[in-house]
Amino acid sequence: MSPELIQPLFDFGVPLFLLALGYFAGTMAEKSHYKSIRVRELRLRRMPTTNLRRPPPHWRIEKVALVAGSTVISVDYFKRFLAQLRGFVGGRVRAYESLLDRARRESILRMKEEAAKQGFDAVINVRLESSNIAAPLRNDRGTAGVEVLAFGTALKLIRQP
Amino acid sequence: MEPLENNVSPEHPLGELATLVLGLALVGLALLAVVWLAVEGAVRWLPVAWEERVFAGSPLESPRARELDTLMRRLARHWPENAYALEIEVVEAPAPNAFAAPGGQLLVTSALLEQAASENELAFVIGHELGHVAGRDPLRALGRGLLVSLALAAVGGDEGASLAASAAQLGERSFSREQESAADRFALRLVAAEYGHVAGAADFLRQLPDAGEGGAAVRAASWLATHPRSAARVAELEALAHQNAWATAGELTPLPAGLRGE
Repeated sequence: MSPELIQPLFDFGVPLFLLALGYFAGTMAEKSHYKSIRVRELRLRRMPTTNLRRPPPHWRIEKVALVAGSTVISVDYFKRFLAQLRGFVGGRVRAYESLLDRARRESILRMKEEAAKQGFDAVINVRLESSNIAAPLRNDRGTAGVEVLAFGTALKLIRQP
Repeated sequence: MEPLENNVSPEHPLGELATLVLGLALVGLALLAVVWLAVEGAVRWLPVAWEERVFAGSPLESPRARELDTLMRRLARHWPENAYALEIEVVEAPAPNAFAAPGGQLLVTSALLEQAASENELAFVIGHELGHVAGRDPLRALGRGLLVSLALAAVGGDEGASLAASAAQLGERSFSREQESAADRFALRLVAAEYGHVAGAADFLRQLPDAGEGGAAVRAASWLATHPRSAARVAELEALAHQNAWATAGELTPLPAGLRGE
């Protein structure tokens, strides 16, 4: 093969390979993550979780604690490329929507799992914080990722005899 | 209660990719078309005098440049429509190459002078660059580079700026294959008119290895980066000489003493 052809092959081949890798690996990771999220959400759906600051007045509380769950999810090459293109024209950045959705739900699940493991019955005053962690550098290189932190007040209730 | 799962837009990512890539490519093509039209229009309307005033060069310095200037003016006699004052200068560089800059300025590298075996060969290279001047190619390239970089810088801040820099460089460096062929034909016509034959004209091109052969390619890399493959160009020149019944054999004129190194 002539060197004339190698350069363009390299210039276009490497990004194309990374795009394909990002797409397939990213899609697989997302699918399996969503599967796990749905199963665990179903398992924990009986634990009341609310953003109200105070428990209902008739609850009698035995124990209180702070519980938190946090998740960091990285963007893949394909998603970042898609989001960059989206950045030219505007609109919903679908590529990042699923990223944040997964991080949010995973964090709430981890928080609830922590509460359940310690024998709590409910979590109130739940708050969510998200932050851009591992921010891309100024020239848009580097890894972009998002962290979502969920925290709340876990309550253990006194069972009525 | 089942989760609603309505926080992610339902569109398939590959569909979104296709839409975005195609849409942006269309916009880019339209932009390039506009730039092309604008530059062609501007080049047609800008008078040569204006171009020379804007890109005024420095006066000739070296004795070698004065020798080259004599050779260039002999060639330019066969180009009566010329409106440029024309200037030529030698630049010290390890790779054999020659350039045409806006305002009718030619640059020849010192390595080219050292490598040239005959005046005919050198005359062809100078004629080639004169061909670019005649086609007003440097002005076109400059205009295109400038407009494309402006457009890119307008589209996307940081990213656009770095893209713009490389695009501008590209625009300034490279002429299209058609422009190169036209400059070759122009050069061969001048050489035939000056010497009565075209022997030696394509020697410089023939010495250059094809891009595929490697080896001595490093030496010619800078020429190859800005000029199309040599073999195809030599063939084209031979066909043109045959068509015009220009003699391809003849006595080669030795290089003037002042140009044979220092």
